[in-house]
Amino acid sequence: MIKITNLEKIYRTEEVETVALNDLSFEVRDGEFVAVMGPSGCGKSTLLNILGLLDDPDAGSFLFNGVEVAKFNERKRADMRKKNIGFVFQSFNLIDELTVFENVELPLMYAGVKKSERKARVDEVLEKVQIMHRRNHFPQQLSGGQQQRVAVARAVVNKPKLILADEPTGNLDSSNGNEVMQMLTDLNEAGTTIVMVTHSEHDARYSHRIIRMLDGHTVTENILV
Amino acid sequence: MIKNYFKTAWRNLVRNKVYSLINILGLSIGMAACILILLWVQNQLSHDRFHKNLDRIQVMNNRDINDGVKFAWSWTPNIMGPTLKKDYPEVADAVRYAEGNHFLFTVDEKKLVPSGAFADPAFLSVFTFPLLKGDARDALKEVNNIVLTEQLARSLFGSDDPIGKIVKIDSIDHFKVTGVLKNLPDNTAFDFSYLLPWSYKDKLGWTDSAWGNNGVHTYVMLKEGASKTAFDQKVNKITTNHLPGDPLYKSREVFTQPFKDQWLYSKQENGRYTGGRIDMVRMFTAIATLILIIACINFMNLSTARSGKRAKEVGVRKVVGAQKKGLIVQFIGESVLLSAIAFLLALIIVMISLPEFSTLVDQQLHLPFSSPLFWIYALVFILFSGVLAGSYPAFYLSAFNPVKVLKGFFKSSAVSVNPRKILVVIQFTVAVLLIISTFIVMQQIKHAQTRDNGYDARNLVFVHMNGAIEQYYSLIRNELISRGAAAAVTKSMSPVTERYSDSWNISWTGKTAEDKKVNFVRMASDADFVKTLGTKLAMGRDIDIYKYPGDSNAVLLNETAARMMHLRDPLTAVLKADGIEWRVVGVVKDFIYQSPYEKVQQLIVFGPRSRFNTLHIKLNPVNTTRQNLDIMAAIFKQFNPEYPFDYKFVDAEYARKFKEEQKTGTMAALFAGLTIFISCLGLFALSAYMAETRIKEVGVRKVLGASVFNITSLLSGSFLKLVIISCVVASPIAWFVMNNWLKNYEYRISIGWPVFAGTGLLVMIIALATISFQSVSAALANPVKALRSE
Repeated sequence: MIKITNLEKIYRTEEVETVALNDLSFEVRDGEFVAVMGPSGCGKSTLLNILGLLDDPDAGSFLFNGVEVAKFNERKRADMRKKNIGFVFQSFNLIDELTVFENVELPLMYAGVKKSERKARVDEVLEKVQIMHRRNHFPQQLSGGQQQRVAVARAVVNKPKLILADEPTGNLDSSNGNEVMQMLTDLNEAGTTIVMVTHSEHDARYSHRIIRMLDGHTVTENILV
Repeated sequence: MIKNYFKTAWRNLVRNKVYSLINILGLSIGMAACILILLWVQNQLSHDRFHKNLDRIQVMNNRDINDGVKFAWSWTPNIMGPTLKKDYPEVADAVRYAEGNHFLFTVDEKKLVPSGAFADPAFLSVFTFPLLKGDARDALKEVNNIVLTEQLARSLFGSDDPIGKIVKIDSIDHFKVTGVLKNLPDNTAFDFSYLLPWSYKDKLGWTDSAWGNNGVHTYVMLKEGASKTAFDQKVNKITTNHLPGDPLYKSREVFTQPFKDQWLYSKQENGRYTGGRIDMVRMFTAIATLILIIACINFMNLSTARSGKRAKEVGVRKVVGAQKKGLIVQFIGESVLLSAIAFLLALIIVMISLPEFSTLVDQQLHLPFSSPLFWIYALVFILFSGVLAGSYPAFYLSAFNPVKVLKGFFKSSAVSVNPRKILVVIQFTVAVLLIISTFIVMQQIKHAQTRDNGYDARNLVFVHMNGAIEQYYSLIRNELISRGAAAAVTKSMSPVTERYSDSWNISWTGKTAEDKKVNFVRMASDADFVKTLGTKLAMGRDIDIYKYPGDSNAVLLNETAARMMHLRDPLTAVLKADGIEWRVVGVVKDFIYQSPYEKVQQLIVFGPRSRFNTLHIKLNPVNTTRQNLDIMAAIFKQFNPEYPFDYKFVDAEYARKFKEEQKTGTMAALFAGLTIFISCLGLFALSAYMAETRIKEVGVRKVLGASVFNITSLLSGSFLKLVIISCVVASPIAWFVMNNWLKNYEYRISIGWPVFAGTGLLVMIIALATISFQSVSAALANPVKALRSE
């Protein structure tokens, strides 16, 4: 599904040049669950942003399902994103002014899905993450675990091929964290490819493979299954 | 999706109540001010635009050289109208019109002195005032026809049908009502409650066929397709051609002004109409636009300042597939929603303030709710305001990088500091500009008001000579003095505050070729002119026919006239006018009889062999005004029983000369006040938000030893700097604009530095008061609370 080759990303300010990704290459196959680990500043999040088409690399190739997407313009990237990729963030990133239902419905609206179908799909996914009873609540009325479940629901409602999770349990206690990890595992077992950035060895063990990064490139790969 | 945008927008508004309120309130006050001004502008632009033949109607004008300067005037000879109709095939109709009638109307026991006008029969076909009853073509055909307005008809005949009914005029003539006009709209320059046929004016002997006597307004309606330019060329020398060989009329030109321009273009430069009310219309349209921009700037500033609150939403929407274009639409849509809410509130403010504003501008303004065009304009107005206010925030917010905002790396103030500062400077520049302008207008009015007018207007009244007053004048005069109501009485041609007549055709001993083209203003008196009006004699004596029987052809000159005539010894001078020789018996010091903003023109007060229209009465200072007026009323009732006793105080009439400027001043003050209020509203919200975002910095500074004063100065200083920049930017602009405005007045102030310094100080105090509450609150806050949140 994903093949990156010799990827480079450099952040420049007037005085400082920081190499975030340095000649990075790896591959993620369909249906795989990959964890990316490494110390702060090693380039994990930059990698995830590039994989999510939120940022573009300075050099190298990024094939998504065999299509070169590294130089896509904003419109094409937005289009590719809404059709193929779901995001789960550490800080949930729900819109405070929208209810649970409306937050989850948002990707379907941008994808142009009809209202009746949207309702059915949102309800289905809310049932799946067991938050249906809170569908008309606003994010600030929910606990952290509940908010992350809503965020996961939002990420999967459009049935993306790929889910990118950036420290999904970082703001949760262990019980809620385990629940979220179990949800991601279930999604993966149902066929969704997952790339997860994490600091937690415990969470990483849910994945099939761990890529360890340092100073912008991979240092080791551990295959767990 | 629109529903989703709407929900988000609405919930944002509700969640941030204070900021939303400030935003909406500021915008609605700005919009209300803008709507009020635009209603007035629309009223001005619609003056007399409802006549069907508007584009074909022209106003006849003269142009000549007076004292070396070209000037134009729209008073024309009585004979001009019929001549144009007879001799010029391109003229479809020519109409003469003259206002100022004060006839006594009697219907049964009812007696009224309404104001009316004489007009040619074609008046009602050329000017299409709606005629409720009668036929426009022949309503003024016969000499005893009269056309009434609906209101006058009701006053005279109640609910009866007035058509065919008889009105007695001045106890002499009987007129048959042949037409009833709908009451004149507020947006017309014509002012009459009845029309009498021009033939009646002829019958009274009030007309002549002299081409040199300009006393009526003449309007022509050109035939379809006729060229105004060609007609102008043809009529250019009409007066000169009718007075061949008369050197006085050699340079006289006749030209037309489109009737539709007459209301807006009345100010002339070198004999051409170049401006007038249109300048005010343009100035206040600019003010309306500026006020709206200022109100929109509040929205821009608050939206961008508070962008951090919306950053996450932008990030999320982008991550789940939104494009920049969609987000721009969303944010502009939000701004349009806010603009629509503000507009509704603005309409309420306008409805509440419209009666007062109508009084201020002296026009009956109304909101035309029933007109579909109004709602179309309203929609355009909402969209325009919404897009104006929302476009910058929309582009600003939609450009957020989702990676940064979702990671919490977003810093709003750092990226948006300059545009926001510029916008605050724009707001305050406009406010300072308007305040300085207001002060200068006020100073100019005061300057003219405190100008010595050269006579004593206190306890001075005038009465129009109607009915039997002329006949019994000597008796009335004696009674007024002997019964102690008056200290002095004089007959005159016009009220001292007005000019009724002027003349080029004056000659005197020693007159040179250069002196020929000088126009003299004419007044008249039988006796006690100086004593009654309280003017001052520079030399000689007053006219007094009762003391000096030879004074029937005596004249007084004002100082300017004596100077202009180059008279070495004015008291031996003899003038020739109207075929009579007049002896100069005195020279009065210049006094203001017309505009207090202009220099005094040359004036001759002719003796008793003149026409008289007015009585001036100096009330007896020993009695109260009421006592004097009661005695006067009894005397006039005795000698002129048919007419109600009507009088006017000269000081009140003089005060009316300041009306236009006072209106301008009050409007400028009102809108300057609103501008500073809206700007401060924005500044208040901005300072509140800045205090909120700098709370950690304030905490750290306090921990490191900063005092409350240090913190307050820090937070207030940045805003005050902007206000100072605004003062510096606004001052030269204000100087330039107001210096040009002052050039309209010959008698004017010179702009000094105190007005700029005073305004700067005032605005800084207002701004400081606005932001100090927030700054002091932030400075007094417990630093531990701010730092604990880290």
